[in-house]
Amino acid sequence: MIAPVIGLCVGIFIGVFSQLTMPEAYSAYAAIGILACADSVLGGLVASMENRFDWRQFLAGFFGNGAVAVLLVFFGNRLNIALSTAAIVFYGSRIFNNFSRIRRFLLNKNEKKDMIE
Amino acid sequence: MEHSKKYASIAITAICVMLGIIIGVQLNTVKKNGLSTEQERLSDLTQRLQSLEEEKSALEDKISEQEKQIQAYEEEEETDEMLQQSLQEARNFAGLTTAYGPGLMLTMTDGAIRGGDSNAYVIHAEDILAVINELWSAGAEAISINGERIVSTTAITCAGSIIHVNDVRVAAPFEILAIGDAAVMESALTFSGGVVDNLKPWGIQIEMKEQTALEIPAYRGTTSWNVASSGQNTNHSKEAEE
Repeated sequence: MIAPVIGLCVGIFIGVFSQLTMPEAYSAYAAIGILACADSVLGGLVASMENRFDWRQFLAGFFGNGAVAVLLVFFGNRLNIALSTAAIVFYGSRIFNNFSRIRRFLLNKNEKKDMIE
Repeated sequence: MEHSKKYASIAITAICVMLGIIIGVQLNTVKKNGLSTEQERLSDLTQRLQSLEEEKSALEDKISEQEKQIQAYEEEEETDEMLQQSLQEARNFAGLTTAYGPGLMLTMTDGAIRGGDSNAYVIHAEDILAVINELWSAGAEAISINGERIVSTTAITCAGSIIHVNDVRVAAPFEILAIGDAAVMESALTFSGGVVDNLKPWGIQIEMKEQTALEIPAYRGTTSWNVASSGQNTNHSKEAEE
């Protein structure tokens, strides 16, 4: 549970201190991609807690969601519709959903422990 | 079960590191480029407009300074009196000197909006052009609109709710000064079916006052030619040689 959080922090550190930047045009795509990938990471956490984690499923979700989100924004730009809003709303609500499942799971776990002891 | 949980933890951590790197790079990008929202762009453009306007006014100051210098040179040199006089005449005609004299002062004000298309009740560039045209034809010798001298290259154009004269923005009420025979100019505007009559239905009011001493400022824009040249037509002389 703690390892992914530490990994995330380490990654952000590496990214910020590498001083790498990407072209501004891709910035919007990266933002949506981050949202989609954050969703699948949370989804993976939920799955591992519920003991139904499948690494193939997880990796496919991570890269697949990212790619679909980026494509959605790309075609939205071409068609002049703000499809990015759809992606933001969808992945945003899913992140909250996954987070609430994690929260419920952690709280329930503690309660069970209390009952055993 | 414990085994698969270990794998899950490793996989999620590895992906988290990757996600973190992307987030970090994105943070760098946003920091470097600033927020690429439309508001950011708007403020950027406003700033650029402001700096350009400052530059413009600085350049205008420079122009007037150099014109003073030219004047000083002209006064210094003991040139032929005839030449001096014709130069002065040309400058007067071109509107490069301040003009003094009796004439007419017009004030054009927008009509009160009475429902419907509000655009119909405001003064347009065409209305001003019609007035100016009548004034020229009635023998006006110098005209200005809100302090902008009308010269041969003056353009009067609409730009939204304001009007551009010599690329300077002016807004209603428009004060038009014209040096010339006031009685003739007034009657040229007010005859029945004339300009004043035409604008009356729209509520546009034109007040006229005869003035004994008007001062019309000189043209402040550039006077240099970039494309045209005076003197002989070079193309034509070539043809003649052939």
